[in-house]
Amino acid sequence: MAKEGSGSILQFAPFQSSVDEGFWHRLSSLKLNKFGIDDSPIPISGFFAPCSHPQVSNYLTLLAESLPSDSNEESSIPAFNRGNRNRCSVPGILYNTNTMESFHGLDKQGLLKAEAKKIWEDIHSGKVLEDSAVLSRFLLISFADLKKWSFHYWFAFPALILDPPATLVDLRPASQWFTLEEAESVSTACNEWRNSSVTADVPFILVSVGSDSRAAVRHLKDWETCQDDGQKLLFAFYDPCHLPNNPGWALRNFLAFICARWNLKTVHFLCYRENRGFADLSLSLVGEALITISQGWREHQCVPNAVGWELNKGRKVPRCINLAKSMDPTRLAISAADLNLKLMRWRALPSLNLDILFSIKCLLLGAGTLGCQVARMLMAWGVRKITLVDNGRVAMSNPLRQSLYTLDDCLSGGDFKATAAVRSLQRIFPAVVAEGVVMAIPMPGHPVSSQEENSVLEDCRRLNDLIGSHDVIFLLTDTRESRWLPTLLCANTNKITITAALGFDSFLVMRHGPGPFNSTPDLKVEMPNSLSAVMDNLALTNTDGKQRLGCYFCNDVVAPTDSTSNRTLDQQCTVTRPGLAPIASALAVELLVGILHHPYGIFAEAEIANSNNGGSSELPLGILPHQIRGSLPHFQQMTLVGHSSNSCTACCCTVVSEYRKRGMQFILQAINHPTFLEDLTGLTELMRSANTFQLDWDDEIEDADDECIEL
Amino acid sequence: HPWLASPEEEGYLSLENICISRPYEVDIDQNSQTDPGEEETSCSEKEDDIDDATLVQSNHHELHYCDFHIVYSYTFRVPVLYLRAYCSDGRPLLLDEIEKELPACSSKESPETKWAFITQEEHPYLKRPWYKLHPCGTSEFMKLLFLGGDTGQPKLEVVLELYLLSWFSAVGQVVGLRIPCKMLNDRR
Repeated sequence: MAKEGSGSILQFAPFQSSVDEGFWHRLSSLKLNKFGIDDSPIPISGFFAPCSHPQVSNYLTLLAESLPSDSNEESSIPAFNRGNRNRCSVPGILYNTNTMESFHGLDKQGLLKAEAKKIWEDIHSGKVLEDSAVLSRFLLISFADLKKWSFHYWFAFPALILDPPATLVDLRPASQWFTLEEAESVSTACNEWRNSSVTADVPFILVSVGSDSRAAVRHLKDWETCQDDGQKLLFAFYDPCHLPNNPGWALRNFLAFICARWNLKTVHFLCYRENRGFADLSLSLVGEALITISQGWREHQCVPNAVGWELNKGRKVPRCINLAKSMDPTRLAISAADLNLKLMRWRALPSLNLDILFSIKCLLLGAGTLGCQVARMLMAWGVRKITLVDNGRVAMSNPLRQSLYTLDDCLSGGDFKATAAVRSLQRIFPAVVAEGVVMAIPMPGHPVSSQEENSVLEDCRRLNDLIGSHDVIFLLTDTRESRWLPTLLCANTNKITITAALGFDSFLVMRHGPGPFNSTPDLKVEMPNSLSAVMDNLALTNTDGKQRLGCYFCNDVVAPTDSTSNRTLDQQCTVTRPGLAPIASALAVELLVGILHHPYGIFAEAEIANSNNGGSSELPLGILPHQIRGSLPHFQQMTLVGHSSNSCTACCCTVVSEYRKRGMQFILQAINHPTFLEDLTGLTELMRSANTFQLDWDDEIEDADDECIEL
Repeated sequence: HPWLASPEEEGYLSLENICISRPYEVDIDQNSQTDPGEEETSCSEKEDDIDDATLVQSNHHELHYCDFHIVYSYTFRVPVLYLRAYCSDGRPLLLDEIEKELPACSSKESPETKWAFITQEEHPYLKRPWYKLHPCGTSEFMKLLFLGGDTGQPKLEVVLELYLLSWFSAVGQVVGLRIPCKMLNDRR
């Protein structure tokens, strides 16, 4: 760090490494496609250029081109463009290990010595005179963890140690060392050298300035011809370092070469630096160094010691870079998936709330035609947490209509639908958090024997837990009675519930209203169970006097003729026009997204399409209906409203409070005694107070085992 | 006869190693983050890695660099600006880090007024994920810029150059690149 005359130790600024992402990409590709577990050393090239900015040093850079090509070419030496002035190439060697342990177990001292020895040999053999870049030979050790896409690496820039170290007699900007005339001539000569593709990347050169102030740049091998006493002769090198008081690392081996080869004790050197592509002699440094060489240097066999492992922010530890974000296919899939939604938000729907879509947990009861399609639509909207409940197995006819299954899932008796569906979702989008539950839903009117009681109660509890741990529940089963228990449990906990049901050629998609014991956004209502009459009143209305919307069972109006014809239909309800399930599923999910974007959520009032009474088409997603009933023969769709019924077998406050009072025993009773619910709620009253509405077609829900509930 | 390759080479324009941040100093001593497992190696080193002739710097300038490529998109039929950014040691920067350096492309602006949208996409030639300014708004604002055409039919080269300059004058602003006035004034 001394400037003049103090004769202190010459200190060199170490090379700094920079590894372009492309290098790791190519290394990964080579490991996977070519090298496999072969960990023989790989010859590579580093690239550097003289400093180009007064405040910033340049780096020794590794690019994709530093490695051999990953196509099937024979050459193992990397091919690169010679003559590129911004990429002076330097030979190096890469030891890439297969495990972290072997990475840490490498004999670093030994490897450094081996590279130092190569440099030493090149000095003595004359190779340096042919290709001086070998003086800056480097070493890289690495471990590529291709599961986590992280790369551990450590550079070494071997420098032969002068013992005793070289001392600095003088160091100053080149513009102060040359006369003005000389400086101009030197700049011109250097610029010419750098502009010619033949010489641009030769990093160690001789700069001679004659007594006529004319400068010339020459190759090292021309040294003998420069022995003219009238000349100033400088040993110049491309210096990536910008520091005003220190030369770059490359000078170390250069000095070693000079004194070993030509036995000089005093060396005038030029740290060649540029600014914006032109020689900059005020940034460049000229210095004078004194070297005392020990006897051992004349002997070829005795390799000097070397230093050069790169420090990592001052510490002797390797570096690590993690590229999962740009290399891991799952991460890339996630960001691509997000892109679509973000584009939608940017171009068409600025109020789209992606956070809520990413965070909600959806429970799908049923993994059949409706369940598969709803799951796919949810993922398309960015929903990541999906649980499917189904106790069936994939049958041979299923893959055609149930879009998550393929033939493979049908073999050997068929996988459980819940597990096959989850597998399929994960194949589509690995970041989905999907869970499958193989479970039957207990149904009223299907009595259970006393041996089965415990397992049925267990299922009830499990269903209750599932509903409690999710935010949205989709009722997508194929019987009416299987929807009863989930409806009750959702009404009890006020969860967003969406029903989709199919007839042969018609469908129903609806959102359940809030439960009877709910707190509206503005008012918390605590109701003691004893005041049933008061509760009735309160339960039917929200605080502003509007009725709460009904559930699937409130509004279920089946004309007597239809239920008769339904009885002959196959209980599995596979007889529907194939187009219905995708339509209904899509509408169910769009309805959900509407709810999630409505300021009142589950409490939102119903809107009807084409209504003139100020329906909120100001909401960007449009209206939020209560029910959508569609008919394929008419290619028509209607939005309808149905309010809750005092006598609903699933969501009226009588039923819910009974459940709250008696819990599982109540459930069991409903399951085992078909008329229990009718008696409890007073069904005739329901018939009288049911909402009626005009329909253009025969209302068809789906086949149902109508034993338990007659409406 | 099979198709002949187009006589023009396909490629892209590139502007690389643009420094996009002010150097800020990171004090070495305060930097204590390590990767687990890295400690082993350093403890087992007996030899001195540093000799007296090695300059050890007490601070460390962290700089961020950006590469810009202009690629033609056949789908959208407009030029598209691709960019990526990285630290001095090569570590790539993520979008939120880039946006700190190039405030004009921050996504904090309201979606209605912002017309530039940065997305991650595979570079068509380098086959690696880069960021790009989404081109779906380009043809709209180019129409605006090209209203009021000159009289007479300019040569194709002039139109192309004018197009690219205009395009770049709008797009470059987002990433902090500007065209020198001289370039705009000098065209024929």
